[in-house]
Amino acid sequence: MKIEKKLQELLSSWEETYKKGQLTLWIFLSLQEGRKYVDEIKDFVEEKSNGTITCEEQSLYRALRKYEHVDIMSYELRKGNKGPERKYYYLTDLGQELFNLFIKRNIYLFYSDEIRTLLKF
Amino acid sequence: MKAITVYLLRFALAATVLTIIFRYFLSQGIDAGSTITVILSAVLYFIGMFILGWYFGKKDGNYLPFYDVGFRFHLTTYIIYNLISELWFILEFNSHYENFFTIHRTVFIWGGFLLIHFIFFLWARKRTINNLNKRDLFE
Repeated sequence: MKIEKKLQELLSSWEETYKKGQLTLWIFLSLQEGRKYVDEIKDFVEEKSNGTITCEEQSLYRALRKYEHVDIMSYELRKGNKGPERKYYYLTDLGQELFNLFIKRNIYLFYSDEIRTLLKF
Repeated sequence: MKAITVYLLRFALAATVLTIIFRYFLSQGIDAGSTITVILSAVLYFIGMFILGWYFGKKDGNYLPFYDVGFRFHLTTYIIYNLISELWFILEFNSHYENFFTIHRTVFIWGGFLLIHFIFFLWARKRTINNLNKRDLFE
């Protein structure tokens, strides 16, 4: 029991560090499906990451504003079912290129035979 | 311009009101020969501006964290204070014991400090992309 508790603590500690920097990847991933508004991005991230990545709406908005400011993301206004217009976010050409390069350099590594064997999947 | 955010504008508005109040009490205090009014208005103005800068700076940072080492807020304060002071004299609201030279001396000396701040700002900009800290850009 003690070992299990320690294992959980170690896992939480590692995950906490690992998750830093993950939000961008998940946001960008969500937009590969198409244009989304904030709630849809949030739902995608939390659902597809099996709840390991959670994001406060405020931090999500802040992140989107930053990406917009550096021209890797933009939005279009569309009418919602009810209420005011919604911002539907999408990656700009620069953003898409950035995402492709990032994936190529950092994610494809895990798909090499050698690493897959080590990961045992 | 993206660097002019809604919180910077709100700060500018609040700073304008506070500066006008300060100028009023300063001139009144000098005219009345009341040292306590002069000192108190200067101290309260300093505290008020500090609180405004702190409050709106924090809000501004949460909205979009510009890595400008506070330069935009400093520049705004400089422009507002000196513009109001100049207008104060032009409109003849000043005390009889105040002179234009004091105002211009403030512009010059403060301008020197602003220039130093600007150099720090330029130096900090090397670590940014579109004025956002490279290290803080992706979460």
